[in-house]
Amino acid sequence: MKTYLLAGLSAAILAVSSVGAAAQTKLNRNEIINSLQGAQQEVDLTADQMQKAAIENIRKYPGANSPHDMPLSAKLATLRQFNVEITFEFDSDRIRPDSYETVGLIADALHTPYLQGQTFVIVGHTDAKGPRQYNLDLSIKRAQAVREALVTTFQVPGQYLFAVGLGEEQLRDPSKPDAAVNRRVQLINLGYK
Amino acid sequence: MRQLIFAIMAFAMLASAPAVAQTVGFAEAIKMLGASCGKDIETYCKSASLANNGITNCLEKNKAKVSAKCNADRVTVLSLIRERLAAQASVAQICSRDSAQYCKGVKEGAGHILRCLLKAKPSVSAKCNTAIDLAGYR
Repeated sequence: MKTYLLAGLSAAILAVSSVGAAAQTKLNRNEIINSLQGAQQEVDLTADQMQKAAIENIRKYPGANSPHDMPLSAKLATLRQFNVEITFEFDSDRIRPDSYETVGLIADALHTPYLQGQTFVIVGHTDAKGPRQYNLDLSIKRAQAVREALVTTFQVPGQYLFAVGLGEEQLRDPSKPDAAVNRRVQLINLGYK
Repeated sequence: MRQLIFAIMAFAMLASAPAVAQTVGFAEAIKMLGASCGKDIETYCKSASLANNGITNCLEKNKAKVSAKCNADRVTVLSLIRERLAAQASVAQICSRDSAQYCKGVKEGAGHILRCLLKAKPSVSAKCNTAIDLAGYR
């Protein structure tokens, strides 16, 4: 009986909270799934190579801004991917409470059979304000914070999930390097390994 | 009064009966934490992180100072997440007969059997289909 009461209660909670959510939530789990599924069987790219490409880009082409996109960008563009906005505390890798739901949506999506067994990279990006190396380091920490939350609190299998920070080396809108649109967390499907 | 409470409970159970989804997704659960505890998190858990249940642990440590609503909801959030994880963990066992019958020869691991069970929904047993629903796998 107790379990029935509890089940009834949690269903009631669900009903109440989903009414409140309907008005403002645009992002949903299936949107993430649809964008990410259907990867090529094998993608010839690793998280490690992505990270190295960004570090190399700063070393080879130093300066306030990168003169061009990093070498792997054309390849990355061909992969199944999805952009989400996750807000962090200023100058910190701490995820703000208003973004908890987004992290939960990623967890919901990655747990489904549609995405299970495929390898994903969580990629952190910044805008072009501030030094490039600083932005790179911050984006690495932020991507790792998202991965850690997914792998521990939401128990997404860690062997399929990697974190990479690309700083400002891969702007979404290079014509507006300081724009908010560049600050994003990208999920990329690297397929079945 | 007692009758009234019983009536409300009975209504809640009836209302929830047709919808199978008695567990809640991670997003739905953790959203409640942000909404009910956002202020308390900013005040008492400035250095805690979402990883390793860090936020709920910090709120628990500060429960004497945290708002009543947050104290109630942080416990609910944890149990909702636990329920969903338990529902997911139980699918393989509940569906083992169906897997053997309808997904023979399907490679194990990487979600292959679950994807097969999703496709085989019309043939799969009610018990297994319910387990898949409760896991949020559909």
